[in-house]
Amino acid sequence: MSETKDKTRATADAWLVGAAAWAFPGAGHYLQGKWLRGLLITLVVCGMFAIGLAFGGHLFGLGGKEAGGGGVGASKLLQLPPTIANLGTGILYLVCWASNSGFNDSTEYAKLATFEYGNTFLLVAGLLNYLAMLDAFDIAAGRKP
Amino acid sequence: MTHLLVMILFAALVSIVFCVVARDTARDRLLYGLKVFAEFVGIGLALAWILYFLPL
Repeated sequence: MSETKDKTRATADAWLVGAAAWAFPGAGHYLQGKWLRGLLITLVVCGMFAIGLAFGGHLFGLGGKEAGGGGVGASKLLQLPPTIANLGTGILYLVCWASNSGFNDSTEYAKLATFEYGNTFLLVAGLLNYLAMLDAFDIAAGRKP
Repeated sequence: MTHLLVMILFAALVSIVFCVVARDTARDRLLYGLKVFAEFVGIGLALAWILYFLPL
């Protein structure tokens, strides 16, 4: 009985850690005392996000002003995968969404040589944070040291 | 910043996260990180040369 209770508690903690890891890059590792791992994840994910924006990249959203963002049907579906990737950065994405910055896809940015690099950095920052989130979840669930 | 430098920066940053989450000891992480970095840069350069000779 006590073992089942402990297991349920451990699973609940793992979900909490996973949510924290998504919300702020590295937080899931900080909560478990993995300071160096957490710091590296924070620096890389936040760094890639900042570099992506500095390169002129833009964030994707389903209802934004970017190309296809305001469309219907297939054009909305095309926006879905990159939006999910961008959402991986957690609070960084939410802050940009709340302040309506980083979503601008004007021709001024698009003609920059680094525009596509910027998009790639922003997308990969989110995907890497998903990976870090799963790692933090596995550690909390006792599947990894 | 050149395309090559951007690619190297990208490879370095991604390699750091890959090695942090995929290996458990410091030595394994270092070796795996270097391997992933070398693969990113090596394959990137190889693809660039292949595309250079293709009439696209």
